Amino acid sequence: MRIVVADARAPFIRDGAELHVQSLVTQLRLRGHDAESVTLPFNGRKDELLDQAGAWRMLNLSTSNARPIDVMIATRFPTWCARHPRKVVWLIHQHRAAYELFGTSFSDFTDSDADTQLRLRIAALDSRMFRECERIVTNSRNTAKRVAHFNGISARPLYHPPPLAGHLHTGGYGDYLLVVARLEPLKRIDLVLRALTHVASQVRLVIVGDGSQRMELEGMAAALNIGDRVTFAGPLWGTPVADWYAGALGVVYAPFDEDYGYVTLEAFLAAKPVITTTDAGGPLEFVQDGINGLVCEPASASLAAAIDRLAADRALAERLGRAGRDVAQTITWDGVIEQLLG
Amino acid sequence: MTPLRILILEAQVPFVHGGAEILVRELASALHLHGHHAQVVSVPFTDSPKEEIVAGAEAWRLLDVSYAGGGPIDLVIATKFPTYFARHRRKVLWLVHQHRAAYELAGTRFSDFSHTPRDVALRRRLIAADTRILRECVGHFTIARTVSERMLKYNGIASEALYNPPKLAGRLHHGPYGDYVLTVTRLEHVKRVDLAIDTFLNTSSAMRLLIAGDGSIRHELAEYIERHGLSDRVTLLGRVDDDRLVELYAGCRAVLFAPYEEDYGYVTLEAFLSRKPVITARDSGGTLEFVVNGVNGYVCDPTPDALAAAVDRIGTDAALAASLGERGHAVAAHITWDSVVERLTTAGSQSERVRAAH
Repeated sequence: MRIVVADARAPFIRDGAELHVQSLVTQLRLRGHDAESVTLPFNGRKDELLDQAGAWRMLNLSTSNARPIDVMIATRFPTWCARHPRKVVWLIHQHRAAYELFGTSFSDFTDSDADTQLRLRIAALDSRMFRECERIVTNSRNTAKRVAHFNGISARPLYHPPPLAGHLHTGGYGDYLLVVARLEPLKRIDLVLRALTHVASQVRLVIVGDGSQRMELEGMAAALNIGDRVTFAGPLWGTPVADWYAGALGVVYAPFDEDYGYVTLEAFLAAKPVITTTDAGGPLEFVQDGINGLVCEPASASLAAAIDRLAADRALAERLGRAGRDVAQTITWDGVIEQLLG
Repeated sequence: MTPLRILILEAQVPFVHGGAEILVRELASALHLHGHHAQVVSVPFTDSPKEEIVAGAEAWRLLDVSYAGGGPIDLVIATKFPTYFARHRRKVLWLVHQHRAAYELAGTRFSDFSHTPRDVALRRRLIAADTRILRECVGHFTIARTVSERMLKYNGIASEALYNPPKLAGRLHHGPYGDYVLTVTRLEHVKRVDLAIDTFLNTSSAMRLLIAGDGSIRHELAEYIERHGLSDRVTLLGRVDDDRLVELYAGCRAVLFAPYEEDYGYVTLEAFLSRKPVITARDSGGTLEFVVNGVNGYVCDPTPDALAAAVDRIGTDAALAASLGERGHAVAAHITWDSVVERLTTAGSQSERVRAAH
């Protein structure tokens, strides 16, 4: 089949969703489909959201160069607004600031009349567009739960392997904990840095990723007097990241209400335990406390205690990590695409 | 020089890959080499049914690209229709082409616009909208003189042609002047591959024709070759990778490239960088900005007879091919990315505005 995968992408930012789309295109091609991604630049500013939905609506993706396109796969807001007789959604996320993030410090929507109107319009628009779609599946149970709650639409979660899957391998359980994340408030790197100030053992923190908070977080590490124990490795992709995973004692992953989160599965595929929090969302679909990782309260002291526990007992780290690998290895692309295409 | 944050705007036709796509990626690399932060922004484009053309322009108009990825965008570079409909205060045009079916192709067999009142009205509307939106740009450049001439003729807007080297520039080399003539093209009607094939019905020399490239009419052309009993002399190679293409250029006697009103055409420059002469037609557009009849190739009437005579001339005289090709090389060798980057990134800048005011 000829398939387009639609993505709304913020220029200059590489994120999990972009990798998701690339992996999907690759996997469709491996299975003999003619697949390509199509994008529109995304701008998260409130006053541009409806215009961008309008821009997607202007696009008729039913043919290209006078030949039909059989299926369109939408991924995140507002890609499902495009026109196609056979739309399938593999939901990565909606415009989160207008949904579950509203009311937290991570949303720019206030309770003003204008913002409330806009939130309601976006939710109504999404619901209407979803009804045009033949099928809606989500990347995780967490995302399915949200769309059921906010849009009254039932969707089925489908897990897929992380893009780094082919690169990951296991090395020793070293003297550092790894953080892999875009350096953005939702990923709560600040919480991890504060936790390190409470850690008694001599472990270091390696942070892979880049983002708008980079300067701020580097300054914070210095101000907290832990600058010599924290390495900002910058944005890395492929083998260099896999190598950081391979040598880590464990992975700390404490985002707020993550959709799915490749990091959990990447850590597990490298046989590393994951330390996460009770409000982390997607990671909790995989991380079980004391079995393949440690789940703690989203507070620096609790995270520090979990880090100390791993640092004091490398055999525990290894045992948890190997149990995690067993979980992650059951997630494959086989079946995902069949279910997606119906 | 202050590094700029730049977006290059691209109209993507899903499942179709051609020169324009390579051009924008090469431009992004060249901007990076000059220290700028550049990203390509693509939006899918469809022209069927024709009414969707207007919707495609409206989609771009709805995009405010003045801010992205946590900071302001200093400059956007628009390329094809309808990318220039995007909103930005410093929008520079490097025009690849407009919607050709509504412009110079209208009324030819290459356009789906006919002389019905509806089509005429839509054409007028597109041209008027283009003219209005193109005036918003703070700098007007095109990829070739042909494109500049069209914009002047239809939109009344003057521009400067900025040539760029082909993607393979660093890798092309020359080899023996072999027993085949090469055509490199997408297999579409507007490229007139059928004319190249017909040429070989009329040649008397032993030259063969190798055609590299793929497209929507491949099947039709294969049948055509078969039907005319040319299977032993004309070969469709399909899509070839860059390594193979470089070697195909290196070993050919000459390159035959006779599309209708090509905008620019990397093929000419690639042939010249491989020191091969180019046989083209006098209505081939962009090739004529480089090919001079009898100096570095031949410019013929767009007929199989005329093209066959040129093929035979080069086909029977390898030394002639070498001397023409050598002079072609001199033309292509001085086209670089540096001047393209310089012109695009200074257009509409503060310093240029100050200079213009004095």
